[in-house]
Amino acid sequence: MDIKILLVDDESDFVETMVKRFGIRKMPIDSAKSGQEALAALETKEYDVIILDVRMPGMDGLQVLKLIRERAPLTEVIMLTGHASLETGMQGMNLGAYDYVLKPADFDDLLDKVRKAFERKELNAKARKQGT
Amino acid sequence: MQRPASRGPDPVGDNPGIGQGILARATGAKGWKDHGLLLWTHFLVPPVLAALVVAAAFATPVVAGILAAAVLAIAAVSARGLLSRLSRTEEARLSLNSQLIQSQKLAAIGELSAGLAHEINNPIAIIAQEAEWAEHVVREAEKNCNADFAEVRDSLREVRAQVDRCKNITHKLLDFARKREPVLQDVDVGRIIEDMARLVDKEAAYKNVTLTRDLPQDLPLLRTDSPLLRQVVLNLMTNALQAVDTGGRIEVSARADDEVMEIRVKDNGCGIEPENLEKIFNPFFTTKPPGQGTGLGLSMCHTLVTGMRGEIFVESKPGQGAAFTVRLPRKT
Repeated sequence: MDIKILLVDDESDFVETMVKRFGIRKMPIDSAKSGQEALAALETKEYDVIILDVRMPGMDGLQVLKLIRERAPLTEVIMLTGHASLETGMQGMNLGAYDYVLKPADFDDLLDKVRKAFERKELNAKARKQGT
Repeated sequence: MQRPASRGPDPVGDNPGIGQGILARATGAKGWKDHGLLLWTHFLVPPVLAALVVAAAFATPVVAGILAAAVLAIAAVSARGLLSRLSRTEEARLSLNSQLIQSQKLAAIGELSAGLAHEINNPIAIIAQEAEWAEHVVREAEKNCNADFAEVRDSLREVRAQVDRCKNITHKLLDFARKREPVLQDVDVGRIIEDMARLVDKEAAYKNVTLTRDLPQDLPLLRTDSPLLRQVVLNLMTNALQAVDTGGRIEVSARADDEVMEIRVKDNGCGIEPENLEKIFNPFFTTKPPGQGTGLGLSMCHTLVTGMRGEIFVESKPGQGAAFTVRLPRKT
């Protein structure tokens, strides 16, 4: 099954490389350059996993995370950060991020986390269906 | 006195819960069946021997005397064994009881504070809106009347800042009171600890604190909720980092046996005063100066670990650091 992934990061070089690397594995991903763009994308399509940079101009990652959790509670979010800050790490995990990954992230590692996050999303969706 | 071997299938086989596990470990017994056999032996051996003495008395008084002394000795040893076993069981039961009371108390406090947070949330939101509106009105008035209301604006800004602070606390409370049904996946615990430790590394280095990991290569996968586990591990490490001084040491380790996975975060910081040990998992309990930390970190850990059907406990001597241990059941 295809995983619907959205990458949110303001560094266009990084985004390009990631799109390419996921593409090589036949996993097309969408990208957004800011929090606002990501939220707009969320309006039009349902994503399984969102990879979200913490530090972005405008709306920061934690704010975006909060809104994503409200609007698409099933979507799992993996936070990406260049600066290991404990405070934001704790906040991110408390806000319900699936994982918190330090940049530069090893690609295979990230891929593994994306798969696990997707598995979790599916399990959650199934549990919810049975619950209602 | 030798404990009689239990017959039939292994009594551990019926998968005792964590509480029974503690009881069994504390008493050295394997299960209820084991106790049954033991009690039978304790109660039957002395009377049977006494009957032998009576029978012997009809034959020769000397043999009866020797036998009576032997019977007395056996009965005494047997009674002593039984007594020590009973007192050990009682001790284990008491400790289990206090653990149960502790977790019930925490659940009650959690519910109460969530209720409170919920009630306070609405008025806080209204105060924030009104302050914002008042700021707008003041700005308009300044423009129209050409006056300077800088002090009013300052005061309104402060109102908003304090309201934000309240909002942060109520949100945190509501957040951790929300019942999250754990989503179970096969989780590489060593990996999670390593990932979270990397987040802590930089701040630890900044404080000149060494953060060592002792993670066996052959740690089995655990069926648990990975984001919840990450939160617990990150919270415990942050807590340890706050407890140690410059040059301190934090050790994170994990190990597993057939029944539980154990994660331990140990520091050589200031330790915890004995009178605080019981309160350490209470919401809002903190020894930090006011304004630093809300005292919700460890109580959140307790809530999360209990939700994962595990247990968390702390060992500490003042001045000699503290060790937090999380035990999670391996069988789901």
